Amino acid sequence: MAASRWLELEREAREVRRRMADWDFIRRQPLRVRLALEYYIETGDLYVASRIAGVTVEEMNELRVRANIPNVA
Amino acid sequence: MSLEERLRKWLELEREAREVRRRMADWDFIRRQPPRLRAALVYYVETGDIRTSAKLSGLELEDFRELLRRANVPVVV
Amino acid sequence: MFAVADTCFLIDWARWRRRDALFGVFRTVFVPESVLGEVRSEATLSWVVESMAQGRLSLFTETPDLIEEARSLVERTRLVPGLRGVDLPEAVCLVAGRRWRYVVLTENRGVLMAADILEEYRGVRVWRALEVIAAALRSGVIASSRPAEVFAEYEEDTKHFFPRRDLEAVLHELGGEA
Repeated sequence: MAASRWLELEREAREVRRRMADWDFIRRQPLRVRLALEYYIETGDLYVASRIAGVTVEEMNELRVRANIPNVA
Repeated sequence: MSLEERLRKWLELEREAREVRRRMADWDFIRRQPPRLRAALVYYVETGDIRTSAKLSGLELEDFRELLRRANVPVVV
Repeated sequence: MFAVADTCFLIDWARWRRRDALFGVFRTVFVPESVLGEVRSEATLSWVVESMAQGRLSLFTETPDLIEEARSLVERTRLVPGLRGVDLPEAVCLVAGRRWRYVVLTENRGVLMAADILEEYRGVRVWRALEVIAAALRSGVIASSRPAEVFAEYEEDTKHFFPRRDLEAVLHELGGEA
């Protein structure tokens, strides 16, 4: 697939994550968790988000679910 | 340059940096701090070793760096 | 050009009004996980995370063998009399710099000394903010007819003080005296 198509897919995924996220929930979180969820919304990178939050990948995934952010494959 | 010459060079740089830290520090602020923070600040002024100083203070590294700013103690590197 | 940054560098650099000049000098700056864990303030962490989302900073995951070499370096720096010891996060950066030829960004004198004194690390480029700003000025990433003012801004924003002799040498090379 052409690079431009990948970029387009990534842009669409980011828009979906932004639109569906529970921003009230996100804003209420402690600093590192909030930044990690925002990072995840922008990039879809769960591992790095988990490092920002200082939690395991599984815990980060749980936070993602609670923040209503979809995993857009 | 031999090992001894290199070490001598670094020793001189460290001496100069210590003089700058001593001169610029807000000693009134430092004296007003609780014992542990005061000791850590003095240790930093004398050695420039931020990690050990932070551990002595009981603060995280970035928090100790902020304390140095408030104490007007520069990092001279 | 790639770089790897330690905590001491990041927590000062993030306070500078021209901090994004870093990304004009380096294609990507790697941040070890151990360094990320030490960043605490909202301002610094927000900038780091935002820069990571933009691909300008990139998380660097330490592998077991790299950590082992870094631990060994920590011990070695404590064996040489007169050499300031380095701690693990800085050692990780120096090892990464040696393995992958990254420029190591640090404000830690122990790292500077180790790169000068330990033979196997002598080829590693170790830069302070001084060298990064000089590179940014030299390449035009920062355009200024008064380089001395740019360094003064850094000192003012971060309360980081450049050794006068080193600063004068850099300014002389850039053509702008202190």
